[in-house]
Amino acid sequence: MTAETALRFEALEAQAQKLMSVFTKAGHEAVAPSVIQPADVFLDAIGEALRARTYVFTDPDGAELCLRPDLTLPTCRLHVARHADPAIKARYCYNGSAFRFQPQGADEAHPREFRQAGIERFGESERETAEAAAITLIMEALRGAGLNDWTMRIGDHGMFRSVLTAAGVPERWRRRLADAFWAPERFHAELKQLTRAPDANARKLPRELLTALDPGDTEASEAAVGAYLDAHAIELTGTRTLAEMTGHLIDVARDIDAAPLPAAAASLIESYVAVSGPARACGETIAGLLKGAGVSAGPALDIYDKRLAQLANAGLDLSRVTFAAEFGRNLEYYTGLVFEVISPLFGPASPIAGGGRYDSLLRSAGAAIDVPAVGGAIHTERLLKAVKEARA
Amino acid sequence: MSAKLTLAIPSKGRLMEQVTEVFAKAGLVVKKVGHARGYRGEIEGLPGVDVAYVSSSEIAAALKAGSVHLGITGEDLVRESMSDADTRVTFLRPLGFGFADVVVAVPACWIDVTTVADLEAISGAFRRAHGRWPRAATKYKNLTRRFFAAHGFGDYRIVESLGATEGTPAAGTAEFIVDITTTGETLRANGLRILDDGVILKSQAHLIAANLAPWTPQLAKLRDDLAKRLAG
Repeated sequence: MTAETALRFEALEAQAQKLMSVFTKAGHEAVAPSVIQPADVFLDAIGEALRARTYVFTDPDGAELCLRPDLTLPTCRLHVARHADPAIKARYCYNGSAFRFQPQGADEAHPREFRQAGIERFGESERETAEAAAITLIMEALRGAGLNDWTMRIGDHGMFRSVLTAAGVPERWRRRLADAFWAPERFHAELKQLTRAPDANARKLPRELLTALDPGDTEASEAAVGAYLDAHAIELTGTRTLAEMTGHLIDVARDIDAAPLPAAAASLIESYVAVSGPARACGETIAGLLKGAGVSAGPALDIYDKRLAQLANAGLDLSRVTFAAEFGRNLEYYTGLVFEVISPLFGPASPIAGGGRYDSLLRSAGAAIDVPAVGGAIHTERLLKAVKEARA
Repeated sequence: MSAKLTLAIPSKGRLMEQVTEVFAKAGLVVKKVGHARGYRGEIEGLPGVDVAYVSSSEIAAALKAGSVHLGITGEDLVRESMSDADTRVTFLRPLGFGFADVVVAVPACWIDVTTVADLEAISGAFRRAHGRWPRAATKYKNLTRRFFAAHGFGDYRIVESLGATEGTPAAGTAEFIVDITTTGETLRANGLRILDDGVILKSQAHLIAANLAPWTPQLAKLRDDLAKRLAG
């Protein structure tokens, strides 16, 4: 194990001060969220996969805690703890340690302990403006620290949802595909099932039960499910309610006589997921795909163009920005835009900075409602090294 | 003095009796040395073997570290306590007792969930309704994690349960469980049902060799003799 938390401590501190002054000048309050966090909140937000990359431990009182794997969720908790109304506008910035277990062993690009400097902006309803502002500020901070050689990758989960809608996918299938988006294999399996045998799940269930359900009448449907359980002497056990089960069963029952997803729709979805390339050109590619399928994009493409235009106005060189529809698949809590800044030294596997939109994360931190939230964080050790190597 | 072969066997309960029976069937008498409540023993007619009576859960740890040469314990405990079981130990002989299946079981009333894929299918809706992923109660944290990770399923969370795991869904402290079962009777009595593809491991007691233990040609020969005799 390494004996030092940072090798070039003074240089790192000096760099952090520069980054933080960019953030505070732009109206972000410097905050220090707790290093030790309740594991619960992270596990509920991210799922069991968290444990594979996080230091989770039990304290002498038996409470399950973790060392923060990043500062985004801790900043969300800080915001919720401070404000009774989580929708209140707030801008925060931070510079602090984060901790990741490295299953392949820690190295310079993948340290066990590292420092993140970043920003989080809550409650701004002008979404594209807030997103462009967050990216612009992160880029300004990176440039100020001396990073000149970079490229950026962006993705957009909102666009994915819009394409599903444009393709005419019914809402229950959109939910299925969106839930599966994170796992590419499962996603393709779902898509295949919807085009070939959308009733595959329904065929596993008793026909008598499914035909007793009435999608238009949830109360009668719940009664039918209850009656089925009674008739088979199955007791209702656990926290998942009869209403939840009925809701899912109704979705499944709707598939009995459902026409399969048209091949054209599936192929539009597949073609969209495969889109990647220069950001500007991708906008045109997607427009072309939708036009070719004879469907309207809705507002998603306008949002895409508006965001790029705002980034260009803020001085971002769009020729360095690429888009990939699949990008962000492994980052489950993002709900819209995702971005990463990449340096030639570390490559795409180890971005210098990253962030995006995560409108449901404040809820995981205890808010009663979804709140617009966007942010970004810089991996400060990578930044320091990338700048140093570029100068050498 | 040449080194002896250390064999760790369960120190009490039904498992210890069954080990003694299996050895007896092979014509080997295991007996304690010295004090009846002591923790050392020997096998009559096999003077090169030192028997250590150890609690079942610690046998896996001793095999993992290589602090004993051989051990008798359940495959479930071994695989739970090491992610790299197949490099650290060698399963020499299944012994025909201590049968236990490690299974995923959900409330029987979840009529829409019969496979792991169905579990994936409802976890998103469950989270939308409850603000958190469904919880799996288990004492087999590592087996659970590896099994679901192999299915690409991560939208759940584990709550550790050290006893009465099958009661946790009814108590509201978990949504489903991963636990051992032999006949499924306890699961049924608690209103639970095993998923069609929910058998994680069919376990039984094995004679197991620690790959990291200090092996010599003599000890290896003794190991092979013992394994052959236990094979009947």
